[in-house]
Amino acid sequence: MNDNERRFIERLQQRDERAFNELVETYGPRVYRLVYRMLGRREEAEDMAQEVFVQVFKAISQFRGDSRLSTWIYRVAVNLCKNRTKYLARRHDDAQDALDAVAEHEPLHEAKGVTSADVSRPDHLVEGMQVEAIVRYCIASLDPDFREALVLRDVENLSYDEIVEITGVAEGTVKSRIHRGRLALKQLVERALGESIS
Amino acid sequence: MIDERDPAEPALDDASEARLRNLMQGAFSTPERDNSPDVLRGVQQKLRDRSGGKFYTDGWSTIRHAPISTFLVTGLAMLVLMLFVVFALAPLSGRAERVRNEPAPVELVTPSN
Repeated sequence: MNDNERRFIERLQQRDERAFNELVETYGPRVYRLVYRMLGRREEAEDMAQEVFVQVFKAISQFRGDSRLSTWIYRVAVNLCKNRTKYLARRHDDAQDALDAVAEHEPLHEAKGVTSADVSRPDHLVEGMQVEAIVRYCIASLDPDFREALVLRDVENLSYDEIVEITGVAEGTVKSRIHRGRLALKQLVERALGESIS
Repeated sequence: MIDERDPAEPALDDASEARLRNLMQGAFSTPERDNSPDVLRGVQQKLRDRSGGKFYTDGWSTIRHAPISTFLVTGLAMLVLMLFVVFALAPLSGRAERVRNEPAPVELVTPSN
């Protein structure tokens, strides 16, 4: 941690509102993307991203600098997402909206390699968006521990060390969850699409 | 460290793994293209409410950047006001009239006997 970072953290710990604004401006978009990927719903993600920073504001005095600030914020975000997921699961608030979105879709082989980022062919765009919705629904259906590991590794592209720091579980466990998560996701996607993705 | 992986579990081949990763990244690419929501406003509002007005109560703490334009406009307005006052009051200021400093005529009175 360099001097600038240390001074910035000191300002945060003194509850400097301008410093906190800077923190939210810097990490807000990244935290929003992470929680959106963990929860799968935009409205929920926006509220959760705000909640993450409220918790960070409350708990910043406990930050000792043992890990990077970004890793610590990610840890707060992941823990809050897990709690929210469990809460929603208890209320049986599953992703019904996503189900509606995937009621009809094109075969995967016709949308191969296409995401909604590709706008050169409108028909491919629609197919890509359908596949995206299916995959999002399948990820949302995964066990929360698997989903967390997969999002951090395969979507956020974090290293195993970072995932270990964020989740607080052993590296072997992280690797195992990623492996099992991929297998589970593959099965779910293939079942939803009715074809192999290999 | 404990590896929870069951040796009996089927392995995922590289092609499937790459395809799966590609699908996951594609599935969540949309919010990166869209503008992220304004997280800061919501955070300030929540902290203001939950702290009972202890934090983010004044207007200065909730702005994102120093209000340079406000400073400039205020400065210019003050300058214009001062110039107006100077020009408006200048005619009223008056000038000291030149006083002819000639000695008063002296009438010589001759003493009568």
